[in-house]
Amino acid sequence: MRRQKKVCPITEAGIRYVDYKDERFLARFITDNGKILPSRLSGVDARHQRQLASAIKKARYLALLPYDRGHQPQ
Amino acid sequence: MSRNYEAVYIFDAGLEDAAITDRLSRHHGLLGSTQDIKLNHWGRRQLAYKIGRHETGYYTIAQFNADPKTLPEFERALKLDEGVIRYLISLNEHELGAQPMTEEQLAARRARDEDDDEDEE
Repeated sequence: MRRQKKVCPITEAGIRYVDYKDERFLARFITDNGKILPSRLSGVDARHQRQLASAIKKARYLALLPYDRGHQPQ
Repeated sequence: MSRNYEAVYIFDAGLEDAAITDRLSRHHGLLGSTQDIKLNHWGRRQLAYKIGRHETGYYTIAQFNADPKTLPEFERALKLDEGVIRYLISLNEHELGAQPMTEEQLAARRARDEDDDEDEE
């Protein structure tokens, strides 16, 4: 049995540069707790994963994305 | 030499709009020749997490050309401004990356990738 080759969703969307201000888009690549999704699960290619990681970290600093959604204050 | 920057500011959402534009023009004045600063006001929005006592912030994005020598002064002013909750200045030069590949290069690349695929099986 051969695994199907995943296609990078960012390349497929025709995006050349991952923007840290687009938090709706970035939110697709974080887990429910707010962690960065590993590329082995999302299929993102290495170049875009690097861009994505720094974009998500910038977005976190700007409070566009949470650092951690694990324990919500009541 | 001047470089192209992009700055995001998060202002205290309690400030009046006029006060925010006033602060912006005052800080941008420190950048020397303030030729065409592109401003994009996102307005007030919920922060993803609390920053101090703030739960909302007024977001503004600015794109400008500036001499790197003027930046330390500019950042100092932002840091001292109580109305600015947070700011991020980054280079806005990602358009300067490698040229897009030509059709021949793409074809060569595709042919090579197909060879690789055969090796995998």
